[in-house]
Amino acid sequence: MSLEGPQTIPTPSASEAESAFKEWLRRLVRGTAELRAFDAGEIDAVMDPSSGRAILLHPTRVALQRSSQLLLNAIDALPCEICVLDPAGTVVMTNQAWRTYVSAHAGSGLALSDGLNVFAACRQVQTGERVGAAAVASGLRLVLTGKRDLVRCQYVHDSPRGQRSFTFAITGFRTDGSLHAMLTRERVSEGDSTRLAVRSDRADAKGIAATGLADVPNRLLAALPASQRERLLDGLESVTLHYGEVLNEPGEAIRHVHFPSDCLVSLLTVVEGHRALEVGLVGREGMLGSRLALGINTSPVRALVQGTGTALRMKSTRFLQELQRNTELRRAVLRFADSLMGQVTHTAACNRFHMIEARLARWLLMTRERLPSAQFRLTQEFLADMLGVRRVGVTSAAGALQRKKLIHYRRGIITILDQKGLEGASCSCYRHVQVPGLHIAS
Amino acid sequence: MARKRAKAHAAVPPVTTVVTLCLYVAGGAPNSVKAIANLEAICQQYLQGGYRLEVVDVCEHPLRALSDRIVVTPSLTKLSPGLPANVIGNLSDTGSVLAILGLRSADLQ
Repeated sequence: MSLEGPQTIPTPSASEAESAFKEWLRRLVRGTAELRAFDAGEIDAVMDPSSGRAILLHPTRVALQRSSQLLLNAIDALPCEICVLDPAGTVVMTNQAWRTYVSAHAGSGLALSDGLNVFAACRQVQTGERVGAAAVASGLRLVLTGKRDLVRCQYVHDSPRGQRSFTFAITGFRTDGSLHAMLTRERVSEGDSTRLAVRSDRADAKGIAATGLADVPNRLLAALPASQRERLLDGLESVTLHYGEVLNEPGEAIRHVHFPSDCLVSLLTVVEGHRALEVGLVGREGMLGSRLALGINTSPVRALVQGTGTALRMKSTRFLQELQRNTELRRAVLRFADSLMGQVTHTAACNRFHMIEARLARWLLMTRERLPSAQFRLTQEFLADMLGVRRVGVTSAAGALQRKKLIHYRRGIITILDQKGLEGASCSCYRHVQVPGLHIAS
Repeated sequence: MARKRAKAHAAVPPVTTVVTLCLYVAGGAPNSVKAIANLEAICQQYLQGGYRLEVVDVCEHPLRALSDRIVVTPSLTKLSPGLPANVIGNLSDTGSVLAILGLRSADLQ
């Protein structure tokens, strides 16, 4: 790699070049200031009017070559793995640490040698890496089109020492007038085995990398026309929402709207003197903050994260601007606000009229269709809060479903064993609150 | 206390107009890098924010440099106020830079 651009013209050896240059310069300039600066060694380049280019002086070229080599050696000595990509996503330079990584992980972890294309490699990864590869491809597109300066994506892959997780940082930079990108590996760890297992399960179940939805797991966003979605993605940031986090309290102003990717958020009504009661559930089919589309900027309910995962979020002010100019988004948000209202209405009636066992079955199905796995962690106390009943009621209802072999419930982990059977055991409300298009992989 | 503050304020040269400068450089070439550093130091010390500086890389924008009648780099052009003026070299000679800015270092001591 050399820092000399195509605009430099090779010149003869140093001594010949100096006298030739001075003579040439004498013809080009009227005053003596340029010649004095040339004699003092303070000039780097001369503009050549005939070629329309800047011609670097010999000492300048030597100095640039030295600094270029110094830079390459310094990059090679860096302990972190670095891979530089051209505007088409082809690897044009790697450092020593990256090359060591490639020789240790050939065929996994997007360990690419010089000359290979990242987008092509992302399409050919093993099943367990599809989610990470799709995120890298999507992030790289954002960086190479100038929409983002920096994107970080989590990546899970199999290594000789077992399953590993790390973060790919994708940084954009401009050289020779075109956008390039740099891939670096950060926070390499063995990872949490449960989380890794869930991610692999998700990839297996949906073959997610093969579809356009891989880039945007949220259905509301994925349903938007590509051009409008791209523009919207520009103002969205990825956040991890943790179990127990409250996104909004009743009456509080909505500061951010959230589009869940693989997290789950409960909407709870808080009645003075009573425990909070769940009236709605939002996952990857919708969003939090849809009331903004109705011109209301406060939340009537408490939005409580009950399933840790990621979401895309946007500031309310920006979202309002997007609603103004994006008619498809406005329609989609209003449709979702209406379906959420339907869900809340049915849940209210269900809480009043139906038996705990049927309500529990409905709730489990609703949770299942919004999560990537048939297994999730729930305490009885939490379930009691969600269903507005005492804990003993949950124990009895869960026991009944377990005896019918519809679910397995042990130490706070619920596994749905029989999807159809559970639908039969749930109340009719499930059919009304079921979200069309949210396919449950069995 | 107030008198001290007034004295300190008087030592700062009054800058009432924004000086517009354009520095032509050749990428990361040694004299160009020095010129940028020298000019930034001079501007910080004598103009204190009352300036607008554009740095043009002639390797990236050669036609812009040619249309601005630039022959060698590094080259500094003062565009305003007053008549345009030019300094060539790595700008290590602070006096000549101050001269095109209409300032003399002796006046500022």
